[in-house]
Amino acid sequence: MKENTELPPGLFLRIFRAFCDPFIVDSIEGDLIEIYRISRLKRGKRLANFLFFLDVALLFRPGIIRPLGFSIELNHTDMYRNYFKIGFRNILKYKTFSFINIFGLALAMSVSMLILMMLADQNRYDQFHEKKDRIYRILSDYEGSKSPYATSPQPLAETLKEYPAIETTTQLIPGVGVDATHEEKTKEIRGYFTEPSFFSVFSFELESGNRATALSAPYSAVITREVADFLFGDQDPLGKRLEFEDRKLPFPLGGDAPGTPAVSWGDFMVTGVIDPSKYASHLSFDVLVSGSTISSLITSGKMEDRREDWKWYFQTYTFAMLHEGKTAEELTAALDDIVMRKEAEIKSEYTSGFKLLPQALADVALGLSSNDTNNRLPLIGYYFLAALALVIMASACLNYTNLSIARALTRAKEIGIRKVTGALRKNLVVQFLSESVLTALLSLVIAFVLLLLLIPAFKGLWVNQYLNFELPFMPALYLGFVLLAILVGVLAGIYPALFLSGYQPIKALKSLAEIKSGKLGLRKALGISQFVVSLFFITTSILIYNQFKHYLTFDYGFQSESIVNIPLQGMDYQKLSTEYERIPGVSTISACDIIPATGTNNNNEIKVLGSTEEYEAVGVLNIDRNFPENLGIVLLAGNGFGTNDQTASTQILVNEAMVKELGYPSAEAIVGEQFETKWGDQLLVVAGVVKDFRYKLLLNEDAISPMMLRYNPAQFQYINVKIASPDPMKTLAALEGRWKALDPVHPFRYEFMDDELESTHQGIFDVVSILGFISFLAIFIACLGLLGMTTYAAERRTKEVGIRKFLGAGSFSITLLLSKGFLQMLAISILIGAPFSFFVNKLWLENLPNRVEFGVGTVVLGSSVLLLLGIVTISSQTLRVSKAKVVDTLKMD
Amino acid sequence: MKKFQLGEFEEVVMLTVGLLYNEAYGVAIKNEIELRLERKVSVGALQTALHRLEKKGLLKSWESEGNQERAGRPKRFFNITALGKQALEHAKTTRESLWKAIPQVVWEIKTSH
Repeated sequence: MKENTELPPGLFLRIFRAFCDPFIVDSIEGDLIEIYRISRLKRGKRLANFLFFLDVALLFRPGIIRPLGFSIELNHTDMYRNYFKIGFRNILKYKTFSFINIFGLALAMSVSMLILMMLADQNRYDQFHEKKDRIYRILSDYEGSKSPYATSPQPLAETLKEYPAIETTTQLIPGVGVDATHEEKTKEIRGYFTEPSFFSVFSFELESGNRATALSAPYSAVITREVADFLFGDQDPLGKRLEFEDRKLPFPLGGDAPGTPAVSWGDFMVTGVIDPSKYASHLSFDVLVSGSTISSLITSGKMEDRREDWKWYFQTYTFAMLHEGKTAEELTAALDDIVMRKEAEIKSEYTSGFKLLPQALADVALGLSSNDTNNRLPLIGYYFLAALALVIMASACLNYTNLSIARALTRAKEIGIRKVTGALRKNLVVQFLSESVLTALLSLVIAFVLLLLLIPAFKGLWVNQYLNFELPFMPALYLGFVLLAILVGVLAGIYPALFLSGYQPIKALKSLAEIKSGKLGLRKALGISQFVVSLFFITTSILIYNQFKHYLTFDYGFQSESIVNIPLQGMDYQKLSTEYERIPGVSTISACDIIPATGTNNNNEIKVLGSTEEYEAVGVLNIDRNFPENLGIVLLAGNGFGTNDQTASTQILVNEAMVKELGYPSAEAIVGEQFETKWGDQLLVVAGVVKDFRYKLLLNEDAISPMMLRYNPAQFQYINVKIASPDPMKTLAALEGRWKALDPVHPFRYEFMDDELESTHQGIFDVVSILGFISFLAIFIACLGLLGMTTYAAERRTKEVGIRKFLGAGSFSITLLLSKGFLQMLAISILIGAPFSFFVNKLWLENLPNRVEFGVGTVVLGSSVLLLLGIVTISSQTLRVSKAKVVDTLKMD
Repeated sequence: MKKFQLGEFEEVVMLTVGLLYNEAYGVAIKNEIELRLERKVSVGALQTALHRLEKKGLLKSWESEGNQERAGRPKRFFNITALGKQALEHAKTTRESLWKAIPQVVWEIKTSH
């Protein structure tokens, strides 16, 4: 009978075998098969299979399931204890090698641990929301964008509510950047317009006030504890009035840029106090204003109406909360549907291929988007750091592998004995792995100490004032660290374990000579790759450092020394400059709207009056008459702005680049030329040509592009005070004193212009610090590896050296003999690494504006550093052996 | 007499093992119970009972060699031990004494529901 040879479904049978007590498994399996065959004959395959499954499922009960623990097999704890004992003894016996392994792994692990901490740090954000799994942020994307926008069109929140999958939505509209005044006290506060649903989506609690109604009525404001303490002191702020004066302070990003002159928004009532410092959230604010306020602000012309504008997706943050059990796919479908329905309203020149995408709240931490609510390290940053950590980790693991294989001979007898007394290969693999895991766990201790040193260094990086990494220790982290150590141990130890456990016992015991201590070629290749990587890191760090210095000493085309830029913060510039002119030590004063070459640019589009050509985009800087002189910008042609303000406001100064761009034969030729602007301003007359100076960030622009300077006092944001005094600090104090007399509300802020320019490149210095540190680790670990190999080679040849010396060889020739192989290795590393570093660095440098000269010099410098360190490492061992007394070396055994 | 205590299903299994005598292995016992008592018995329930009884010393077992019918898997045969017999006897006598103790009148009352 054909059917009677059928077996039940193998999967269930295997499951059964897996859980069943091995003592009774066979007979029960026999029963099962017999029953299955009968039922299959009677009921057919499908039903029989099902019944069989039921039978197996019902067998999963105490009495049938195999007992826990190893009671059936041999007790292994003793063996493991032995592995660890031998492991410890080996670590203690070969102290140099253990040190090299443990320290190298520790260095590498500390970097990975730091990255783990960074990830943990970021992921603690927004964990406190009760419904966090159902909250999504809506991103906007268009064709050809670098990254999606975190913001979306304002009408989206309302429209999205119509879809059944969505429980509710809430939107945060930045735009509150005001001076808030209560009685005598004023404070700059920033925040969002939002709706009552804010509190049903997010789990922020109110310290006082009613969550349900706090954001309902127009002109309601929920303020933070900090603001409340400042403005109200001990009083209860609830129900009190606050006067808001709109300053258009940039928010949520934009840092310290000064606001505009104040426009009153009227009185707001405090309806709640919140303490956001208690919550780790990507949303931070000083104030939340009820969204219902917006319509009345729009009616009174104090705010632009974006309520039905589907094209303007640069401002509003929209959050959607799904009904329980609904998935992101349903949200995506809803968003796609909206984009389709609103196609006509969305269509514009900057919304081609427009898309709305959901981003789970949990992904916000690492998913930095354009226009985001706070500065965070973008995902690419983590990849970059992780790649560096991985390279270092690989290097340290290679050391372990390399040294373990090189020292295989020391373990050969042990392996032989273990095999003879019955150890299987897998037992030996486990033994060697437990040894490497032990090493890794010891490294973890040192790595932790290193980490404690690394954390403040990392937090002290310039860029961290924007990223705000706090790096707290959390319980889950420790588990992560231990898992990391175990993983590293296994990775480092797996190859030696497989290699060493493969010895044939008879060879291992009989003659050591027949044992190969690992292919020398392979070990050398590993060493060479370490040095190539190190060389690459060294060269890159030197190069980036040179680039940094190049930027610092860059000739901007204007003088920034001893100029202090003071943000006006809404104050009248004329009033302030008249005051300041009287202060001794102040030489010249000028004003402008943005500080050139610090990252902010404005544009206008102009063309020669009546010309048929396209409008040309040019940079715009609004300045007063003193500005060129104050910054030492030379006027090449023309007379500059006229003395009459009315005339001056229609005049422009242009730079040489503009003259060239528009094809005028000389600077004089363009003076008097009339331009029209795209946005229907009055005509602009060229009143002069200035020498080119840097207006955009050095990182952003290689050649200076055309720009114009306008006389436009209404736009002024900064006053530039040139200090010419032996004691600039005293003058500064005087400046501050006058400021306080004029404006008691806003704190006096100032920055030296050269510092400001310098700080635009601090980010590069961070990269130098990180890369420099990584190169240090790479070279250190590579040298540790080299040290290990030379030590071992020197030890093995001690006797040979003794005999050679006895026969008359000199110290030098012996040092050379021992070092030759390793020197060769270094030479090969440089031969491969130098051109590699050169061309790869050339590749990215090509795309950098205002790049530093990158010649062979940098590579030679890097190679010399590498060579020097390598030679010191090698000779430290070879010299020791070659200098040893002949008697000692020959006696040694 | 705690050690003689048998559950209802255990008793049924013991009796079936007894009546099958030397032919009592898993499938046979299962079929026999299903046939005689007209109730479904799962392999899991039966095996658990068998091994529990063996652990208590009421049954003993041995394995035979495998055959074609069972894809080479052995059969495990069960037999009642002396202790097992005592337990069954004990069960039987306690039941009988209970039966006897019921007054005749109980059987004569007509219960209506």
